[in-house]
Amino acid sequence: MKERMGKFRSGLLIAFVLILAVAAGVIAFLLSDTSGTHVALGPEYTYDIKQYAEIDPALILYRQVGETIETDFENTHAIAVDAEGRIYVAGDERIAVYSADGNVIKQIELGAEPTCLAIDGNGGMIVGLSDTIEMLDAPGVETARWKAPMPNALLTSIATDKNNIFAADAVNKVIWRFDRKGNVIGKVGEKDEKRNIPGIVIPSPYFDITMAPDGLLRVVNPGRHLIEAYTVQGDREWFWGKASVGIEGFSGCCNPINFALLPDGGFVTCEKGLVRVKVYDADGHFVGVVAGPDQLGWVEPLRVCETPEQCSSKGFDVAADSDGRIYILDMVRKNVRIFEKE
Amino acid sequence: MTNENPDNQSRRKFLRDGFWVAVLSALAAAAAAVLAKGRKKKYVWQLDPAKCIACGNCATHCVLNESAVKCVHAYAMCGYCDLCTGYFVPEPKALDTAAENQLCPTGAIKRTFVEDPYFEYTIDERLCIGCGKCVKGCSAFGNGSLFLQVRHDRCLNCNECAIAVACPTQAFKRVDADNPYLLKGK
Ligand code: SF4
Ligand code: SF4
Ligand code: SF4
Repeated sequence: MKERMGKFRSGLLIAFVLILAVAAGVIAFLLSDTSGTHVALGPEYTYDIKQYAEIDPALILYRQVGETIETDFENTHAIAVDAEGRIYVAGDERIAVYSADGNVIKQIELGAEPTCLAIDGNGGMIVGLSDTIEMLDAPGVETARWKAPMPNALLTSIATDKNNIFAADAVNKVIWRFDRKGNVIGKVGEKDEKRNIPGIVIPSPYFDITMAPDGLLRVVNPGRHLIEAYTVQGDREWFWGKASVGIEGFSGCCNPINFALLPDGGFVTCEKGLVRVKVYDADGHFVGVVAGPDQLGWVEPLRVCETPEQCSSKGFDVAADSDGRIYILDMVRKNVRIFEKE
Repeated sequence: MTNENPDNQSRRKFLRDGFWVAVLSALAAAAAAVLAKGRKKKYVWQLDPAKCIACGNCATHCVLNESAVKCVHAYAMCGYCDLCTGYFVPEPKALDTAAENQLCPTGAIKRTFVEDPYFEYTIDERLCIGCGKCVKGCSAFGNGSLFLQVRHDRCLNCNECAIAVACPTQAFKRVDADNPYLLKGK
């Protein structure tokens, strides 16, 4: 009898729990709003950068000369200009050399995708092929080739003087210093508290360097929004730059992405995100704008990347010649525009 | 002891064996049907981040009052930037967590210090409404590691997704329910 009562009670309990569960389910369903009322988002949900992206026309100090050079590259990665004003564009698996009026003078096959390019003092070229450096003579014949010391290296910029070749490695956040035979003889930019070097910060693979006539290496530290100067031995001499979407600063998480030196020691900088190429004097004071979206053929002042590839590998590269003319490579449109001071 | 006819005995055995064969076959057939049903591909809605332009419709057009679309983070693509343009307004007064400096209108992004000068950003899905504002900031200046996805712990998998109808870039599509996310950086 006792046993039967126990069974009856536990049956009752199970039934009660089941009823509760069903009731909870019904209430949850009734409470969930599936009406889809489509209330528009308020202005606080709009990402508005227009006020910062607009460029005061009075700040534009340059004008385009000649026609835009439309290249036939599928991918472009770097631009350089030699002492005679010939334009070198590296992309796909080759280098194309153009005259200032856009005629192709020669093509140099590389056998791998170039990631950076520098003109050597002897008229030759130095090319970075991801983790490899290749030296070419003036006609484009390979004279030397070596690998970066780290297997995962991504060489994004090369600078050179009489005795050294410097290669910026965006993955290892360091500049390798090689002698002309390819032996590693030093490192520049690595974090070193004792030497007061904060280290290079590279959120996306842009890391540009240039050797200046004063013998100091100019280095972009994009994640810190700085341009720094280092001795060839790696001492950090000075730096300038500030983060700001305002015209005088470098916008976003990591800018500038590329730069070039002007004959007077000034700087030309390119940014990702905001379409703007600007000039700073040798001390880093903002001078003016070379080109904004209108001058570079962009309808939108903000280049929003929509794929991971666009976000990490497309922007502008820039070079300057001995007369101060500025050459801008648009890596999205694969064209080159030349600008001169007005 | 009964002395049964061996013919009768074998007939009974035949019937008994036949019965069990029939039962087992029926069970096998039922199991196969269940398995086949389970194996039939099920599809769910997902948005392709490569096509999404973060227009805002994901926040407003889901049939749920609070959209099933949320911001997600591909950490492998993230630069762990101090100045994260998905976290901060375009011109922040300071790089700190003050509300006035935060881009997300609902405060759904958490900034955590990792080591100098790196910070990690995580999404609190309870607060995220899928407006895509941070996605735009991250895509414009950063690596595009913040993006939107339909979260299947809440999506009702409507026959016709109301956001898919309103999406200006046709970013919505049906994907295999066993693999319901279209992740960046994969
Ligand atoms: S509606 Fe389409 S474009 Fe707009 S946020 Fe959603 S997926 Fe992106
Ligand atoms: S900005 Fe919008 S999409 Fe981004 S976390 Fe905040 S609510 Fe979510
Ligand atoms: S299927 Fe329905 S619940 Fe899911 S995202 Fe689309 S509208 Fe929202």
